[in-house]
Amino acid sequence: MIKLESTEHIVDVVRALYADDHLSFKTITAADERKTSGCFKIFYLFGIKGTDDFTIPYIELRDTETFPSVAPFIKEASDCERKIHTLMGLIPDGHPDGRRLLLHETFSDNTYPLRKDFTKQPDDKRIESKPYHFTEVGGEGIYEIPVGPIHAGIIEPGYFRISVAGEEIVLLEPRLGFVHKGSEKLFEKILLSDAVRLSEKISGDSSFNHSLAFCTAIEKLGDITVPLRANYLRVVFAELERITNHLGDIGGILLDTGFNFGGAAGARLRETMMRLNEELTGNRFLRGVNTIGGVTKDIGTDAETKLVEHLATLQKDLNEVIAIAEHSATVLNRLKTTGTIPPNAAQIHGARGVAARCTGIMRDARKDHPYAAYARLDHVIALEQIGDVYARFHVRTKEIASSCNLIRDALQKMPGGLIQQETTTMHLRKNAYAVGVSEGHRGENMYFIATDAEGKISRVDITDPSFFNWTIVGMTAVGNIVPDFPLINKSFGLSYSGYDV
Amino acid sequence: MIPYFYLIAQALLIPALSPVCIGIIRKIKALMQNRRGPSIFQPYRDIYKLLHKDEIISADATPIFLIAPYIVFATTLVVAMSIPLLGTFLPTIGTSDIIAVMYILALGTFFLALAGIDIGGPFGGFGASREMTISALAEGGLLFSLFALARMYGTTDLLAMPQALITMPTNVSIMLVTALSFFGFSVALLAENARYPFDNPATHLELTMMHEAMIIEYSGKRLALMEWAAANKLFIFITLGANLFFPWGIATTTNILAVILSLGIFFIKMTGFCIAIALIESTIAKLRLFRLPNLLLLSCIASGIAIILTTLIA
Repeated sequence: MIKLESTEHIVDVVRALYADDHLSFKTITAADERKTSGCFKIFYLFGIKGTDDFTIPYIELRDTETFPSVAPFIKEASDCERKIHTLMGLIPDGHPDGRRLLLHETFSDNTYPLRKDFTKQPDDKRIESKPYHFTEVGGEGIYEIPVGPIHAGIIEPGYFRISVAGEEIVLLEPRLGFVHKGSEKLFEKILLSDAVRLSEKISGDSSFNHSLAFCTAIEKLGDITVPLRANYLRVVFAELERITNHLGDIGGILLDTGFNFGGAAGARLRETMMRLNEELTGNRFLRGVNTIGGVTKDIGTDAETKLVEHLATLQKDLNEVIAIAEHSATVLNRLKTTGTIPPNAAQIHGARGVAARCTGIMRDARKDHPYAAYARLDHVIALEQIGDVYARFHVRTKEIASSCNLIRDALQKMPGGLIQQETTTMHLRKNAYAVGVSEGHRGENMYFIATDAEGKISRVDITDPSFFNWTIVGMTAVGNIVPDFPLINKSFGLSYSGYDV
Repeated sequence: MIPYFYLIAQALLIPALSPVCIGIIRKIKALMQNRRGPSIFQPYRDIYKLLHKDEIISADATPIFLIAPYIVFATTLVVAMSIPLLGTFLPTIGTSDIIAVMYILALGTFFLALAGIDIGGPFGGFGASREMTISALAEGGLLFSLFALARMYGTTDLLAMPQALITMPTNVSIMLVTALSFFGFSVALLAENARYPFDNPATHLELTMMHEAMIIEYSGKRLALMEWAAANKLFIFITLGANLFFPWGIATTTNILAVILSLGIFFIKMTGFCIAIALIESTIAKLRLFRLPNLLLLSCIASGIAIILTTLIA
């Protein structure tokens, strides 16, 4: 359920919700409703923990294109407002950073793609690139290392400006946006059936959880009740995806310390999971499984037995690998005390997922805003306290164990019945809003969807956990030495595509 | 005349055999990671491939960048003619003195580092700065370990050393000196050849690289030379390790059969070194950069003690 309310005194309202009521800040987003309501609307999304309820105060901007910034007291809102500034052309008044976020300098100044009157420009309208101003660090012996956007490995593009004194990092500024695809705009243009597929590609390795959040929101708008069996199946697939990716990240962390055995083991175990995914659903990334109203693939009795057996083997195998890694003093030496998140930074800057839980913050959308069948299942939130690479490593190993338990539990409790609700007669509610969340392997994915007067999708806002966590990576790197940065980066395991949307 | 023939044969043999050394290490590492891994002859194919590729050279490159690969490769060839691989009978061409060999290799490292800085790219500078730090610190351990041997054998000529050891009596103090200086030498071997725990020869993380960072701007033929020279250098160090510290089986006459037998025994020793390096690289993680000096200091101290102990022998 969501509670929307328009207010003139947005700053006071938001401050009260954030600082006094301690609601969980989700995001700030804007919609161009000039055609229907004659105004731009800025929504401030807050979640109420333990429920599926969201409080969304909003402000209407008539005859003005500026809105008061809340970034000075909600630090994690800073980039949300910059994104609105860049893509919607609404200016956050009092925001400390006026730079654009996702659109690079080749886009002309008054290009605001999320406005309804935006028309795609031919490429020749692109302008000469202007310099982008990175924060400069002065002082003797300080020099800057530009890294990226193309890297030596096969990874997504991202640029980092690292200011160093000797080998020590003094400042690290990520610059992303190289894979900005205009996904939010594209959602407004395409058919609903294609939209599910698009949501699977927002951040490719998190296909299932992204489409789950999207489908959940659409189901709310279409008043669709998902069959119980489908909800349980969604839990199973979502957890399979989590295990698959955590294995990849665990292997990646070990590989980046130079511990080749662990790196190879992580890649091997991840591959066994992907093959299992393919056997169960026909797709290694679990794509095409989610659909509005449920799932398209059932898990039969044979497959169920196979799945449970596979998980048992996997856990035994993984525990052996972890034990070997834990036994190596050199590995522990690299993991421990490296990349410790500065005190309170995770809290203040709104870390999501693993980055939050490695510092002891209980933040897990499966518990905070139970979706699918999570309310009927139970798991212990994997927590660590120190916030270093080692803590993030162990949040993941713990989560694999709890995911295996969740899958076994779900398979046991899963009732028979339909796996998909008929949706051919579905009509989305008109002029309505809905929020869908899911806890992917990186953290909380969120879709905020608005419909117009005809019941068509008019705005989709995507929040990938990476959007907030990239800021944390930059802060965490400071004080570490340059050769440790790849390890720190890997321990967060963020998505570039999810940030750039 | 025949010894000179062998000397030339050795200078050709070392570059011809060195890639297989890299291949064996990679193969063992792959097996230890439950992978099949490429054939041990893959490095030859890589070099062949690179030699047939076109080069891309930065517009900012100075002649240093262009000639560095030749110099680096040439230094390994000169050293290849100065070390005891085929037998103890090899004639010296004046470069087989410990100090000469060490600093001819250092000349290669120097040009490698210069080439790294030359383009002005961010990673080359990083790699060069780290390489210079490590190689300056490794120099002590390497030099001292060879000095210990020199004092024990009473010669600084590398070619004469194995002969001296074979004819020496076996006693505790000699074994102690050999063991300590071998430890010092091994650490230096790993550091000088960019192996674990100093550098990861298989990494693609541009921010952690040392050796790979210095040659990052190279492509095609010059890259092939750089890779080949690195393989030669590893082979040279393994030859020194095998034939100075464990010289048993080395040919003492120019008899062709004796030389072939000696080469066969050398291969067994070399495989032993390759296995040891692969084991190290499979079982430990890379050390943090700032912990490397401790290890190098340890190598220096061990070799230092070995030098002091040589007084017992005399």
